[in-house]
Amino acid sequence: MLRKLLLPTIFLVLGYGFWVSPDFKEIAAGVAVFLFGMLSLEEGFKAFTGGLLEKLLKKTTDTIWKSLSFGVVSTTLMQSSSLVSVITISFLSAGLISLTAGVGIIFGANLGTTTGAWLVAGLGLKVKISAYAMPMLVFGILLIFQKSKELKGMGYVLAGLGFLFLGIHYMKEGFEAFKDTIDLTAYAVEGYAGVFLFTLIGLFATVVMQSSHATLVLIITALSAQQITYENALALAIGANIGTTITAIIGSLSANVEGRRLAVAHLIFNAVTGFVAILFIYQLTGLVDAASALVGIAADNYTLKLAVFHTIFNTIGVVLMLPVIPAMVRFLERALKAAETGRRSAPKYLNEAASDLPEATLAAVRQETLHLYDNAAAIIAGGLSLKLDEIHSDKPLEEVIFKARTVIPTNIDQEYAESVKSLYADIVDFSSAYQGEMSADQVEELFRLRAAGRDIVEAIKDTKHLQKNLSRYFVADNPYIQHEYNTLRMRLASVLRELYKVRQEEKNDSVIILSLDRLRLDMEEYDHNLNHSLSSLIRQKLITGPMSVSLMNDSGYASDVTRKLVMMGEVLFSNSDLKTKNIEQSLSLDDEELTEVIQEQQAAKGERSRAS
Amino acid sequence: MKISKLIKKAEAFIRSDEQKRKEKKEYLKKVIKKLRKHEKQLKEEYEACSDFEKSRQLKQEIALAYNQRKKGVKMLKSLKKKKKTD
Repeated sequence: MLRKLLLPTIFLVLGYGFWVSPDFKEIAAGVAVFLFGMLSLEEGFKAFTGGLLEKLLKKTTDTIWKSLSFGVVSTTLMQSSSLVSVITISFLSAGLISLTAGVGIIFGANLGTTTGAWLVAGLGLKVKISAYAMPMLVFGILLIFQKSKELKGMGYVLAGLGFLFLGIHYMKEGFEAFKDTIDLTAYAVEGYAGVFLFTLIGLFATVVMQSSHATLVLIITALSAQQITYENALALAIGANIGTTITAIIGSLSANVEGRRLAVAHLIFNAVTGFVAILFIYQLTGLVDAASALVGIAADNYTLKLAVFHTIFNTIGVVLMLPVIPAMVRFLERALKAAETGRRSAPKYLNEAASDLPEATLAAVRQETLHLYDNAAAIIAGGLSLKLDEIHSDKPLEEVIFKARTVIPTNIDQEYAESVKSLYADIVDFSSAYQGEMSADQVEELFRLRAAGRDIVEAIKDTKHLQKNLSRYFVADNPYIQHEYNTLRMRLASVLRELYKVRQEEKNDSVIILSLDRLRLDMEEYDHNLNHSLSSLIRQKLITGPMSVSLMNDSGYASDVTRKLVMMGEVLFSNSDLKTKNIEQSLSLDDEELTEVIQEQQAAKGERSRAS
Repeated sequence: MKISKLIKKAEAFIRSDEQKRKEKKEYLKKVIKKLRKHEKQLKEEYEACSDFEKSRQLKQEIALAYNQRKKGVKMLKSLKKKKKTD
């Protein structure tokens, strides 16, 4: 109800304001142009995020200090904490970074946003920036019309900056003109009542504009035109800092539980910092005066003093909150739990927030396909009458197989329907919906991920075919057929174990990924040799004809399962960049090439035995 | 479309194609180098290995790395050849 009324109310208030005062109209237009500039800037930076951002995030978020620095630097460069928080939520939702790293980035972004106040107070008000705005807009728009993604991105950044400058100019002009008609300082409120009132006004303005940067510029320009008192400007800045969390909160609505945790962490940080600043506002003002005097800022230069205040109170926030990040993360994980759907097939990473950036979309699809593999591996292990935990343990596989001498009833069809089918469908739906904004390399990777999902599903189906005879013969009275089927179980278990080991590695380079082909080679070789051993078993009447046919078919299924799982592993477990991944895929040997390797090896073996 | 424009477009297309090929060559060379190093390491391990099963596995891995490298070298040659014929 309130939400429905908000927009018409704002329209009415603004409309009335425009009717009453043309100066107010100019200020509001300035804010609108400024916000449009922010949007354009965000659009421009998105063009440069391809791959680079992912690499940077991986390298710079392994410690809290690095995450914090990443937040400071990226916000300083992009001049938008909103964009940084949206990107962070998006990457967190896709499972690319941890919650601790995300919290570190957001705290850093708070600190980085203070550079905006310095730029506007220090440069924006002294230089006639509208003179720079015009050529920036013209060049920017020209570049936007170019076909190249990079040039287009640069165009958006340039035009964005142009609009920002133009917005500041209009706000400045508006307040200057306003001064002649109305003196807003007449509405100034002294004491704590004023602090609370103006904090609320700052908060409300930021919630409406969804940009603390815009609010801050508005505050600085109003302060420079002496339309608000210095004390009230400080309170407005505190309010803006709390209000800026709205972007993260809105962004997290479409995110998974991790994204929501981050938004709450953001809110806690800014609320605590704001509360401390309000509580000690008079002491802080003294501190600002002292710091300003120290760096040579004149006592009556209130705009720069506001920038000093903004920096000091955000730094205090970081100093206060940094030591409690681990405790905060633990609290958030306890307080905000993932919705228990009861379905193993419910997607964990596919959410709208993860679709904001192509890198995040790819990461989400990869994580979800890994989730699909986890569910599938349990089914495949069950199909072999083995427990997945045992396969993944350090116990010798011979022991695992020897101990598992009873059939574990596994209804593969049912398990597939419950934990795989709908998840796979969700992955396909999600990846199809968001492939439009991707580069050629990214689309190729998306196709590979989808193919990996298909391989997983097909491996389950092959296991189903295999299960029928396997659960009959590995417990059969005939020791020969029993041995052969247990060998098959062991080979597939070793594939699952090897894949598990490779998956656990943090740095899987091309060599490790390509050596996964050995599992296929091993299985092909076994399948190849089986024909010889089967003939001998039949000749000696140790197994029957139907038994040998079953074994031959099932060995084929086991080869198929191996091939599909290895192909899946080569895509999902590789940590290489997209271009190297393309090379890995083209160097992986196909079936024909593998057969040639086997033949070469056997020929060499034959020669050696003839020679001896 | 004028012929000059068409030629310009074709040139741009060829240039981007050439750029892609160059990039692919660079990445391919890196992976080949890694495979060569890996193969050498495996051979050393094989020489020192006395366990039957382990040396069988090492032998397989050596053959694999060799064939993958060979495939890479072949790809590299064909990329170079393409450049010459263009």
